[in-house]
Amino acid sequence: MARRLGESFWGDFFSLCVAVPRAMKVTFINLFRRPVTVHYPDKTRNYPDRYRGLLALTYDKETGEENCIGCRLCEYICPPQVIKVEMLKAEKRNFAKVFTLELYACEFCELCVQVCPTDAIIMMKSFDMSTADRRELLLDKDRLHQIGLQFEPSWATGNLLRDMQTPPKAPKAAATEPAAAGPAPKAGGAAE
Amino acid sequence: MIMDAVNAFVVAFVVLNVIIGMVTYVTLLERKFAARMQSRIGPYRVGPHGLLQPIADALKLMMKEDVVPRAADRSVYNLAPIVFLVPCMLIFATLPFAPGLGIADLNIGILFFLAVSAMEIVGLFMGGWGSNNKYALLSAMRAVNQIISYDLPFIFVALVPVLLAGSLRLSDIAEAQAGLWYAAWFPLGTIAFLFYLLTTLAAENRVPFDILEAESELIAGFRVEYSGMKFALIQLGEYAHMIATSYLGALLFLGAWAGPGSDGSPWVGALWFTLKAMFVFLVVTWIRWSFVRIRADQILAISWKFLMPAALLLLMATAVVVALQGAPGG
Repeated sequence: MARRLGESFWGDFFSLCVAVPRAMKVTFINLFRRPVTVHYPDKTRNYPDRYRGLLALTYDKETGEENCIGCRLCEYICPPQVIKVEMLKAEKRNFAKVFTLELYACEFCELCVQVCPTDAIIMMKSFDMSTADRRELLLDKDRLHQIGLQFEPSWATGNLLRDMQTPPKAPKAAATEPAAAGPAPKAGGAAE
Repeated sequence: MIMDAVNAFVVAFVVLNVIIGMVTYVTLLERKFAARMQSRIGPYRVGPHGLLQPIADALKLMMKEDVVPRAADRSVYNLAPIVFLVPCMLIFATLPFAPGLGIADLNIGILFFLAVSAMEIVGLFMGGWGSNNKYALLSAMRAVNQIISYDLPFIFVALVPVLLAGSLRLSDIAEAQAGLWYAAWFPLGTIAFLFYLLTTLAAENRVPFDILEAESELIAGFRVEYSGMKFALIQLGEYAHMIATSYLGALLFLGAWAGPGSDGSPWVGALWFTLKAMFVFLVVTWIRWSFVRIRADQILAISWKFLMPAALLLLMATAVVVALQGAPGG
């Protein structure tokens, strides 16, 4: 068992004499390391692909239409309930008549992105939206679309996330093969 | 006679202003140094590489509102920063920066230095008492406790070079080290230098001996109620004291102005002296940023149970060696 502090003076003194240079060595080595600081407004870090930043709405790349169909799934799943959507029924597909997002209360949990069936709401690789007026953080549909065009999008979209998370299906050929090749006793018995 | 007085006044004025300028820039040096120790950059935005940061800080402090707590003892509260600052500035009076370059080379220079630097505790306690704040009062009581405990070993350690040089005059001590710096006089001088660094830390109330301004317990300690210019004066006093003890350490143990080219011009000597003082200051800062704060009882135990007897023994051993062999290096 290790000696406890205060048991012997010279033991403490010796361990102090060892510990002090050791601690000072650590800071001395640090003195010559490159600082880890990134000069933020001048330089930005490379954000990771799954960065969860500002929220935005997207347009369809081919047709240029809005992706949002006003299904209100994001509104239902949102834990702090910052999203409000009203649906606009139309002939071919539906649209969001109103889409507001109160960014000042958003907790950036990405659940809205995960549930979105049409990849309409995504997150951006940026958090750069500081303002002196809180009202500017109440984002309407136009603002959200504008953010989507302004910043670099993060990797995650609803469909990509769902594809990633569903268990891999066995390919069709592999699933039928064993049944044909070998006699599966139970299945065979039932068939007879 | 009058010309002498005017001359002394002009020199004192120049030294005072140089020191105030140095103090402001030493804060930048410390912040940069501390930042690098933590793999940061430190002040960077004001001016190139943050070089104008101390000026910005000073301007900010001057423009700040001066808040006096309603329950404060006004006269004591208002007087404390000045009482604190004056001794801290006064100790530069005896420091010879180079041969012939200084305000007053007293023949009891080191005694004056130690006596006056111990007087800052009066202003400190006045500030802590006058603020009428429990944190400030606790801090002032701790400060008295600590500074009284550490002044004794500090003085004993500072007496080692006095014994070796055989003079209380600071310039004599500096010149006696022409052959050998006392810090290099192994083992007694080296141990004395280490003890000097340790007691300096405590005398300047720096981590790991900073119980009187322990941020997590006492916020800012005795100056918690001070703001604006009064706060600036207290900060100035603290840093001036720090620089003065660094200079004294460089003078007592590192050969003061000795260095290449210092024989020709006193200004080169003064530069060497300043560089050595900054070395002592940086070592102290290095210790500061390497350790955590220790408890009040541990601080007192280190002082009374270890440093005090050890410093006495060191002094006696030095005296014996000097009596038997004569002083080293000369």
